[in-house]
Amino acid sequence: MVTELGTTTVETRRQPLPGTRSTHGSGGVRADPSRRGRAPLGWGGAWVLAVLLPFWLSEGQLSTATFIVIGAIGALGLGVLTGFAGQVSLGQAFFLGVGAYTAAVLGADHGWNAVLWIPAAGVVAAMFGALIGPTALRLRGLYLAIVTIGLVYIGQNVFTNATSLTGGPEGRALPTVHFANWLDFSAGNTLNLGGLTIDHNGLYYYLGLLLLSLSALFVWNLSRTRTGRAMQAVRERELAASVLGVNLARTKVTAFVISSFLAGVSGALYGSFISFAQPGDWSLTISIQYLAAIIVGGMGTVMGPILGSIVVFGLPDVIQNLSFVSQNGGGGLSATDFASIVYGVLIIVFLVVQPEGLMGLARRIPRRLGCSEGSMPEQRGDPPRRMTAATTKPEDQQ
Amino acid sequence: MTSNHPRRVLALVAAAALALAACGTGGSSKSSSAAASAKSASITTGPGVDASTKTITIGNIGAITGPAAPLGSAALSGTKTAIAAINDAGGIDGWKLSLLFKDAGYVPQRHVQEYAAINQQIAVLESFGSPTTKAIQSQVDAAKLVTAPLSWDSAWSKDPILAPVGTPYALDIANGLHYLVTVKHLAPKVGIIYQNDEYGADGLRGAMAATKHDGIKLVAKAPENLGDTSFTAQVQKMKAAGADIVVITALPNATGPIVGTAASLGYTPTYLLQGPSWLEPLMTATGALHAKPTPIADALAKSTYVMSFATPWGNNVPGMPAMLSAWRHYAPTQLPSIYFTWAYAQTRVVAAILKKAIEDGDLSRAGIAKARLNVGAIDTGGLTPTVNYSPQPGPPSSSSIINQIDANVVGFLKPVASGITSPADSAVS
Amino acid sequence: MTQFWQLLFEGFSLGCVYALIALAFTVIYRSSGVINFAQGAMLLAGAYVISWLTVNEGVPFFGAVAIAIVALALSGVAFQLLLLRRVATQRPIFAVVMITIGLGTALTSGVDAVFGSSTRVLGDPWGSTALHAAGLVFDWVKLWAIVFVAVVLAAFYVLDRHSRYGLAMRATASDEEAALAVGIPVARVQALTWAIAGSLAVLAGLFLSGYPSSPNPSLGESALTAFPAIILGGLGSPVGAVVGGILIGLIEVLAQGYDPSWLGNNFYEIAPYIVMIGVLLAKPYGLFGVRPAERL
Repeated sequence: MVTELGTTTVETRRQPLPGTRSTHGSGGVRADPSRRGRAPLGWGGAWVLAVLLPFWLSEGQLSTATFIVIGAIGALGLGVLTGFAGQVSLGQAFFLGVGAYTAAVLGADHGWNAVLWIPAAGVVAAMFGALIGPTALRLRGLYLAIVTIGLVYIGQNVFTNATSLTGGPEGRALPTVHFANWLDFSAGNTLNLGGLTIDHNGLYYYLGLLLLSLSALFVWNLSRTRTGRAMQAVRERELAASVLGVNLARTKVTAFVISSFLAGVSGALYGSFISFAQPGDWSLTISIQYLAAIIVGGMGTVMGPILGSIVVFGLPDVIQNLSFVSQNGGGGLSATDFASIVYGVLIIVFLVVQPEGLMGLARRIPRRLGCSEGSMPEQRGDPPRRMTAATTKPEDQQ
Repeated sequence: MTSNHPRRVLALVAAAALALAACGTGGSSKSSSAAASAKSASITTGPGVDASTKTITIGNIGAITGPAAPLGSAALSGTKTAIAAINDAGGIDGWKLSLLFKDAGYVPQRHVQEYAAINQQIAVLESFGSPTTKAIQSQVDAAKLVTAPLSWDSAWSKDPILAPVGTPYALDIANGLHYLVTVKHLAPKVGIIYQNDEYGADGLRGAMAATKHDGIKLVAKAPENLGDTSFTAQVQKMKAAGADIVVITALPNATGPIVGTAASLGYTPTYLLQGPSWLEPLMTATGALHAKPTPIADALAKSTYVMSFATPWGNNVPGMPAMLSAWRHYAPTQLPSIYFTWAYAQTRVVAAILKKAIEDGDLSRAGIAKARLNVGAIDTGGLTPTVNYSPQPGPPSSSSIINQIDANVVGFLKPVASGITSPADSAVS
Repeated sequence: MTQFWQLLFEGFSLGCVYALIALAFTVIYRSSGVINFAQGAMLLAGAYVISWLTVNEGVPFFGAVAIAIVALALSGVAFQLLLLRRVATQRPIFAVVMITIGLGTALTSGVDAVFGSSTRVLGDPWGSTALHAAGLVFDWVKLWAIVFVAVVLAAFYVLDRHSRYGLAMRATASDEEAALAVGIPVARVQALTWAIAGSLAVLAGLFLSGYPSSPNPSLGESALTAFPAIILGGLGSPVGAVVGGILIGLIEVLAQGYDPSWLGNNFYEIAPYIVMIGVLLAKPYGLFGVRPAERL
């Protein structure tokens, strides 16, 4: 087998040892005190923009934006599990489904208020996460990833058979969010706040944005704590981490728990928003979308999953609605196919050009503009140079 | 420090992305409800109705991709042809129809999304599929948007906002089984392979209702999932139970392998296919009469009956010549398909409802809903069973058309009987 | 009892086809660490290309198969050389996998856009003919699947163990840097693995869409069933892939045929995954996988 060269910097290898380094966040998030200061202002500005956005969007666009915001919550969760802790999971769809059905049972069958079933959905999903977590202790890398694929299929099978909870293959209606009679998100209801009218889509958007903001704050904070750093150590070099005293079991299971909690909340909101779900909806395709979101956004970063969600959940709708794309079907490319092809090609091109995702792109831009100062490759998050036949392209030299 | 810049740049990138998404659709999605300043002052308007240009927008959420695509594409062609023909003949009392189509690929979530995208811009909706229409049913009910489902689920009959055209699946199966056992004297041991969702469940309901009469016994039932490619388990179940008649309530992608697997195992029951289980390309490569036969064509042509929701292509009914001429004029490349016929007829039914609303002077949502309730009998010229809408909940029609597969006719369906009913009908509704 | 033998035959035939798919995954994974998530889409494209050539263009069947193999093999090579190769040296590896996922998405929709989504006729010479013996029915297309797969596996074995390229593939799999240092043309070797995977995809697509099935859009997902095969066989082991594939095929068909209702509806869909998990409990690296040595 292959031997390591024994450096402490992270090295690129073509063939990761199964289980140890199937994912490499590009440098991860460094808890560097000097990074405070003006950075939050940029994010604050983006957040204000997000709050004002619904007033400029049409109904269809707002619906897409709501899906993006809700999806980003789940993507943040996967970012913790796969991005921070390096445990590749394609099982996100299962936890989303668990969250949605928990909401259905508690909210619709037992009449709980949304203020209770939203967190409850997260908690139940987290419990499943705690059960699944220990498999990561025994399985590594692609073995773990494919077992999580199995989780999605087994989950769908169980959902299909558990007719009393899930409505079976015909599906069931999911409860709309209802906090109080004046704050009811049902179709057709609007909320009037001093002259501003917010409808069904807008209400879900703001609820999603609120929960997303809370989740993002939580994850950002997590990245700076000991647990967060332990996760990144596990991702980089598991054996070394355990030698240094990191409790592998606790770290991995914690990652699963946090990830599935967020997935549960996201799934509950998503199900509530679309108001109807069938077991077939919680499919591998959804899991792959979440993985795409964190990779395109930039693995191992806090905000990467959110950016990636904008692309992955929003792009297909944008492409389909471009005015020159034919919607009239019959003879010629359908909008769905066109959107799908463009989406696939964009993913390919983007990742070929920028495998570190949108966050990586953002880091390179100021450097290209010439405003960097003597940073080491490791600090910049670049892979160290390697002598192989392919690394001789000029643009790789920076 | 460089550390500020990535964040700020990022924020700009994010903002730009969001702005791009916002600009992406330009002005194409502004609703026309602002045109409430009606020129023809006597008529009330609503969403999807533009009095200044006298245009009514019909929404259509269909499936031209995905597992139901062959059905959905032919249906869309029929709808477009009907609208073109109506417009060219002067429209409905001078009002023109315009079609707003969105593809949801037979996926309920996408159906919900597309509905959210278009519901402010349409006056009526045509919606493809059972599980998909079910997903938006509560929303169209709340919005009082008259919806014509492209599906024949019994559940639609109970909802006064829906305008189904044709006999529900359950009634079709009950009628078909009754006919086969009493008129064709087939042995009454019945098995059913059904799609594991709302559509299949309705077929099952029909089969179970039929067991109350004629000595029919349901000896085996097996669900199958959309997208399954292998049906050994289901076929084995039917074979092991000795079913003489096998009902298939699935999509054509499943029908082919089911019949083929059974033939492979030396099992040749009589098949009773639910309408959507059948499609012309099951017999030949393109669905045209003289194209290359499929490997299962022989097995399929042995003894297979199809309950259809519309009359076979070219059949001698009053409405057929007009449809054929419209087909030749507006959609000459469309291969003969029963979905074309049906969707053509359905759009004419929707037009009849709109006509009543115009006559009553009210094209708002409430007005169209009222028209739907009171329009009474609508004759489609025999293309489909006569449709009867009344304030009483109930299926628009309860008699069925049964055909037999024949490899030598255009469209491969030979009419056997129409107007058939069964004693189980009241139990099913 | 005839039911058992009938199912055994069908399961073995299906398993052989899964073995092809699993082998295709393994060959690429071994030399570049990438799981090609586009394998299913390549399979789908292969079946549709054959169908289009035989039905629409009237090309004789085996000619169509040969053309499809060449087309898919070349496309695979192009994809690897032009795109993957540029990225593969950079991290993270899952970004590379995501690129193959992107390819799969685009290719699947591309097939739908070009050929339409209706079920097609494959145009194979065997059709629905079958051999009847011992009270069992042996569809010719399934018999030929077994024969073809045996031939392909034998050819692969010869390539792998007794040719220079096989040796080069195994060396690259073992240590890419060392292989480069010894003068092995790593780029060419990796391109070869993609060519092999493309050819195997066409053959697998061909037999998966044989009677009573037909080329249809769900073929793309059939490749996913090979995942449990490569895992329980052990990643990176060709022997494991073949054994895993056949095992999964047998399990799937037997579970379908006997379908015990107390296990819920459609248990056969998850039976392969359950078995895979069971194997992993005992052997976390699969039956023939090797536990990697780790050094700090």
